[in-house]
Amino acid sequence: MLSYTLKRLLQAIPTLWIVITLSFFLMHLAPGGPFDGERQLPPEIEANLLASYGLDKPVWAQYFTYMGNLLQGDLGPSFKYKDFSVTELVAQGFPVSLELGMWAIGLALLVGIPMGVIAALKRNSTVDYMVMGTALAGVAIPNFVIAPLLALVFGVFLAWLPVGGWNDGHWKNMILPVVALSIQQIAYIARMMRASMIEVLGSHFVRTARAKGLSEIAVIFRHALRPAMLPVISYLGPAIAGIITGSVVIEQIFGIPGIGRYFVQAALNRDYTLVMGTVVFYGALIVLFNLIVDLLYSALDPQIRYDNE
Amino acid sequence: MIMNNATSAPPVASNSLGREAWRRLRQNSAATASLVLLIIIALACLLGPWLTPWALDEVDWNAFLAPPSIESGHYAGTDANGRDLLTRVFHGGQISLSVALVATLVSLVIGVLYGAIAGYVGGRVDNLMMRFVDIMYSLPFMFMVILLMVVFGRNILLIYAAIGAVEWLDMSRIVRGQVLALKRREFVEAAHALGVSSFKIVTRHLIPNAIGPVIIYVTLTVPKVILLESFLSFLGLGVQEPLTSWGVLISEGKDMMETAPWMLIIPSAFLAITLLCLNFLGDGLRDALDPKTR
Amino acid sequence: MSQPLLEFDRLRVDFDLPNGTVTAVKDVSFTLRKGETLALVGESGSGKSITSTAVMGLLPELARATGTIRWHGGSGDENLLTVNRKRLRAIRGNEISMIFQEPMTSLNPMHRVGRQIREVLHKHTPLRGNNAYLRVVELLEQVGIPEPKRRIDSYPHELSGGQRQRVMIAMALACEPQLLIADEPTTALDVTVQAQILALLKDLQARYGMAILFITHDLGVVRHLADSVCVMQHGEIVEAGATKALFQAPQHPYTQMLIDANPSGHKAAVPDSAPVLLTAQHIGVRFPITKRLFGPNRYFEAVKNIDLTLRKGQTLGIVGESGSGKTTLGRALLRLVKSHGNIHFDDIDVGQLDRAGMRPLRSRMQVVFQDPFGSLSPRMTVGEIIGEGLRVHQPLLRRAERDDQVIQALEEVALDPAHRHRYPHEFSGGQRQRIAIARALVVKPEFLLLDEPTSALDRSVQMTVIKLLRDLQQRHGLTYLFISHDLAVVRALADEVIVMRQGEIIEQNDTQSLFNAPRETYTRELMRAAFLDSPAA
Repeated sequence: MLSYTLKRLLQAIPTLWIVITLSFFLMHLAPGGPFDGERQLPPEIEANLLASYGLDKPVWAQYFTYMGNLLQGDLGPSFKYKDFSVTELVAQGFPVSLELGMWAIGLALLVGIPMGVIAALKRNSTVDYMVMGTALAGVAIPNFVIAPLLALVFGVFLAWLPVGGWNDGHWKNMILPVVALSIQQIAYIARMMRASMIEVLGSHFVRTARAKGLSEIAVIFRHALRPAMLPVISYLGPAIAGIITGSVVIEQIFGIPGIGRYFVQAALNRDYTLVMGTVVFYGALIVLFNLIVDLLYSALDPQIRYDNE
Repeated sequence: MIMNNATSAPPVASNSLGREAWRRLRQNSAATASLVLLIIIALACLLGPWLTPWALDEVDWNAFLAPPSIESGHYAGTDANGRDLLTRVFHGGQISLSVALVATLVSLVIGVLYGAIAGYVGGRVDNLMMRFVDIMYSLPFMFMVILLMVVFGRNILLIYAAIGAVEWLDMSRIVRGQVLALKRREFVEAAHALGVSSFKIVTRHLIPNAIGPVIIYVTLTVPKVILLESFLSFLGLGVQEPLTSWGVLISEGKDMMETAPWMLIIPSAFLAITLLCLNFLGDGLRDALDPKTR
Repeated sequence: MSQPLLEFDRLRVDFDLPNGTVTAVKDVSFTLRKGETLALVGESGSGKSITSTAVMGLLPELARATGTIRWHGGSGDENLLTVNRKRLRAIRGNEISMIFQEPMTSLNPMHRVGRQIREVLHKHTPLRGNNAYLRVVELLEQVGIPEPKRRIDSYPHELSGGQRQRVMIAMALACEPQLLIADEPTTALDVTVQAQILALLKDLQARYGMAILFITHDLGVVRHLADSVCVMQHGEIVEAGATKALFQAPQHPYTQMLIDANPSGHKAAVPDSAPVLLTAQHIGVRFPITKRLFGPNRYFEAVKNIDLTLRKGQTLGIVGESGSGKTTLGRALLRLVKSHGNIHFDDIDVGQLDRAGMRPLRSRMQVVFQDPFGSLSPRMTVGEIIGEGLRVHQPLLRRAERDDQVIQALEEVALDPAHRHRYPHEFSGGQRQRIAIARALVVKPEFLLLDEPTSALDRSVQMTVIKLLRDLQQRHGLTYLFISHDLAVVRALADEVIVMRQGEIIEQNDTQSLFNAPRETYTRELMRAAFLDSPAA
């Protein structure tokens, strides 16, 4: 297990390197400099500015400087938020985004798995059709449609919950964004769970468990549930990536001060260093979560033995 | 096994698998209804702009943020600039659907070629090609696309290419898996034993048999692409004025939802119904083409 | 005669399908007595497995059972079709237990085998803790698992198929049931393993005094194991009786056909003067085990250094268990897999030819595969499938001429030529195998590789295919390389036999001598396992 973890960590390095390098050179291909958008600067001031950000040096030199700084956790200065470094901005937004994301993935699992299991157990019944109809709607309707609609209904029409804002993570402010963020994942997980549960319930070893005289509850919980959850576990990687991506719009819609909102604003303002810093950070996050999910999977499935190879 | 046996008597008329799948699809009422609805939406988007009494950016100085009404001719109301919403929704639909088709086509071509080559050649080439796909997979693609948009500006051709370039990964994996599985099937070996050329084996045996899963995957890619495009547009990184798309309209609607909820609800409804229908159709196709029911 | 234990009275099972009701089992009545072994025999689709699952209430969801299954093993008489769920669960695994055909998938892959056995004890007995542990070890020992104390902590995927079936048996015996239902328990196993499992069952039955309801298609097994037999066809019992009497004087034509369906007859050897058609020297095939991007791969030697010679008109049989390399060897001779060594076909050195060079030879050497479902492309009509070889080898043929030849080939394999516009899924297994033979024949080959061509078929269908192969050989003077794990079929068809094991030739001789006086222990073991020691019917 340990050697597998190390191996996977080592494999993550080239992936991250590609992300960073691609982003870096993409950014430098951008037409115009970072200060073009502002009022016409006198040439000597612009030169000074460029020099102070190290932009007067050749691209490869900048690349190595950036990589060097990155290794020390420095994502460079933000071009627009002049008083902050990118690292500071990310560090500010991350706890908020993390809290939001964790609640969302937790909710997705907590609701999606039981939904799928119930639908599978009551296959082809009204309950099944209702659950799966809801899930299909959840898959089809994007979160940036659901979020404003939720805000419209619960925030504006009913006025039960705040339409936006974070309020230091007050639970009332959290409900709508978390729900909006998790609905699509709930729907995916429910569909996946139903399909795999149906397959497992029809499998030979479940028949064996029934032939032993076990009660249906024991059959489901002791024998069927864990193998049926494996596909959901391996879907967690993409699910987390989806939630991270989704958080970008959700934070924007509800005005939540997470990294997502910085990212969108930076993208619209062409704050290259901030955009890139965020992409690198998100990339690292996704790679890291994929690794955790893989390790979780291997811990749950005895048929996978990583140490052998 | 019992059912198999009871129904294995040859039917009277001869049926190809394709025709049987089509029959099964038509028996699935949700899928059929979805297909019909999709055709209607596509036709409406294509022809609708000529049928509504307003042009795309024509400003009706008498109606700013006017609610939907039959008398005024603004069947879906107007936006903050007095432009007819229904006309804009149809135009937006044209963009959204065209992005979906072009990007899906891009992903289809790249994915099928890449996957088929990797699967058919096999061995080290396959290993190398798939390792590359693995690495591509682990990249945070959504963010790379956004970065691309930021750097090169919002260009519809770039959207086509970027989204197509993201989506081909899944397609290549599916095609490769199919080809690998088919390659080991005995009918392919029998063709080898008959001396059939590689080209003929690919075109006569592999492609026709791999086409089912590819069709299923295409119907699932189209909604994904629509979603991706509207996501970018929603963030303000998609198509630019004067063009519009459903994502742009939803984004505009969101800002006005307290005063003009129809601006949010109507484009959202178009997007959601289209996506829902595509998903129903995809599910129906999967059931109809599923090799297990053969 | 001992007391009745299980009585079926007019059991009927219907399946409610979307397009109507299908009756899988009708009016099945028989009695199983205490300590007795009763075999339910039938071919696929006869309803024998459905009958057995009805006992345990394990029928599929769509099934509806009527009639009675009376169980005398509990405190009183009960109808198993109507007892409440609680009682049924108390019976399952305790008074009646069951083992299945699929040893590879019948155990839960996520739990250790010890836990799976212990679960039965926890459910039905007061044994707990160390006592339960000791009982599990004892059971594993009884079913012949080596090192039970270590194996108790194994996961199913760490065991072989035979060992998994032993674990299943240990689980079934944990509560010393009065009835064991064994649904084709050895079908998925190699013959030698099959023999071990059957011996084990017999031994355990004597020890525990339980009754066995044995479901099988294999008459050889029935003859050796069962006290009485019920023969099923199309969901009905067509004949029942004591094993000996039934085998000696079968009454029903279907039973007679099943018993006669043991391959019989012999093939006369070709004279030594017959010209040599194919020779192979030092054939070896290896497959990479590891898949590395760079650097050397590790290899698995599937076929090791094999020599063989085939004369015109000869049928060379190759027998062996799974993993013996027999199939790989056949593919190597046709150059469908890469191999090293020399292969000469009619004095042409085919080992040196590339794909294009092989093409003209392809029409002279053809192949028929095992799987009648996998060997025909599902998206081509039968006419297209058979005609494909003609397109390659006689590209100048006009469409009508090609069609004529396809019709001729279909007639040759006794299929209706009018069916050539149909697709493969519209045919039964036996018919598909005929189509595959027609595809090979249409290019007029001299040499035919037959790779388990009858293994996926029911015995009665097997017979017709074997007869067809014999007729074709005589009519066209074909040379066969016949690969099979089924010794009975090989004995009937081949004039020379090679026994393979782990990629090597163990023994080679003419058919008569090999079956009458096998030299090697392994060959004898194979023959004993296949019940060939008994006189063929």
